[in-house]
Amino acid sequence: MKSAKWENIFKGWNHSESKTVVTLKQVPVFKDFSNKEFIELEKLIHLRQYNTGDFIFKNRAPGEGMYIIMKGAVKITIGTRNNNENILAELEEGDFFGELALFDDEPRSANAIATKDSQLLGFFTQDLMGLQERNPVLGQKILFNLGGVLGERLRGTNSLLINSQSTDKG
Amino acid sequence: MEKKQTNYLQLIYRLAIGLIALWFMSIIWPYISDVVLMLVFAFLFTTVLLSSVDALERKIGHRGLSVLTVVTILIGGIGIFIGSFISQISQQAAEFSNRIDKDTLTQEFKAIGENLTNSMPEFLQNIISSNDDMAGKLSDLINTIISSLASMASAVGNFMFIAAMVFIFTIILLAEYHLFRKSLVKIIPNKYFELGLKLIYNIEKSVSSYLRGQFLSAASVAAMSIAGLLLLNLFGANLTLTFFIGIIAGLANLIPLVGPFVGMVPAILIAFMNNLGNDIALTHTLFGVIPSPFFILDIVLMFLIVQQIEGNLITPTLVGKSVGLHPMIVMIALLIGGTILGPLGMLFAVPAAGVLKVILSEIAFVRKNAHLL
Repeated sequence: MKSAKWENIFKGWNHSESKTVVTLKQVPVFKDFSNKEFIELEKLIHLRQYNTGDFIFKNRAPGEGMYIIMKGAVKITIGTRNNNENILAELEEGDFFGELALFDDEPRSANAIATKDSQLLGFFTQDLMGLQERNPVLGQKILFNLGGVLGERLRGTNSLLINSQSTDKG
Repeated sequence: MEKKQTNYLQLIYRLAIGLIALWFMSIIWPYISDVVLMLVFAFLFTTVLLSSVDALERKIGHRGLSVLTVVTILIGGIGIFIGSFISQISQQAAEFSNRIDKDTLTQEFKAIGENLTNSMPEFLQNIISSNDDMAGKLSDLINTIISSLASMASAVGNFMFIAAMVFIFTIILLAEYHLFRKSLVKIIPNKYFELGLKLIYNIEKSVSSYLRGQFLSAASVAAMSIAGLLLLNLFGANLTLTFFIGIIAGLANLIPLVGPFVGMVPAILIAFMNNLGNDIALTHTLFGVIPSPFFILDIVLMFLIVQQIEGNLITPTLVGKSVGLHPMIVMIALLIGGTILGPLGMLFAVPAAGVLKVILSEIAFVRKNAHLL
């Protein structure tokens, strides 16, 4: 027979990962993190719900941090929604966007719109700064990984540029 | 046309809601004011202590233990300060009462009165008819002070309760600060989410930089006052409790405009108590010209110099314009704070005005960039 009392006492012993941690584990920014570090990170992450068509942020709005898609889908666009909307990227579960805002005070360079009912995890500059204060090792790890991600993006852009230049010449 | 009408209707609706909210607040305010005050105090203590707790957490890697250590050190420090202050002041009072009986006290007042009258221009001397009156008035004043001290003792119980609650709130806030902040952020609607985050951060920054500035200026006033009092002792001022007087002056300095003058009072009282019956102190002159019985003018001058150094040299260099409010606004805020909450209100008036300024500037930003939300 199951006893509610005993169940309560041992609750948490068989600790399973939360959905947030499972999502965070897919993101390269948080690679090589220990379970303890993920738990620490989870305390800083903000879970937000968006309905289909909701703006997550608008182009030229002040940016505060990055978002990770836990559930749903997001499109990154420039231009207005009705006229001349140019879709730059369509992102799925596990993808992340807006990470540049972690480094500078520049406004957002595109719109982010939920294309399905979505659950996003937000990680923001001030939380990163706070983490850097309290747990510099973890803070450094995130910054180093972010550097890697940005470097990869830059290499991608470079090869695109080279390709387009060679096509122009051809 | 129709749109304009809807706008007016919306405005009236919002105004009505606002008025109802104000009316409701005015009704429940007397019941919740104490709790709100405790929470404000706890929040301010949390802001002051947060960076130390965070720094300690970085060293020992445990939040709860860091909070406990910082709070224990703080409470221990305050306890030791108050304990030794009370024991020293009672020792001082005992010595004073042993040395002086009531008759000599009246005679001393009479002597001070004569001394003061003699140093006044002749036309003023004629206005004061009798020196005995002055001695009587001074005795009355002391009686009033003693009776008000007795009524103050009854307020101590209430104060202790509030202090204990603030202490508990502070510990909880310090331990759970980041989670508390996260749950506050959770209630912000998506449209204003990033803006709300920025607003919370700016308020935190403004309050903590103001508090750090205040702490630095209080510490510098305390250190300079102690040095100044020790310097006066070299010239025979015979001041005791210099350490405590300095710290009290530093703390009093936290209240803008009024505080610096309050800070002088303990030093003057101690100078008076220690030098009563001492003829050299009674006839002491500042720079050999201005009569300064019991070194009172020397003390006032010393505190004025300390305040000038702090206000014009130390605070601008170390702190800068931490809140960046116009002096006129500071004075208005102080008056409003003082009217609502007394000295406590004056203490919180400037940071509250700073927070209001941050909120207003963010609202102005939102109004200007509404299309971006």
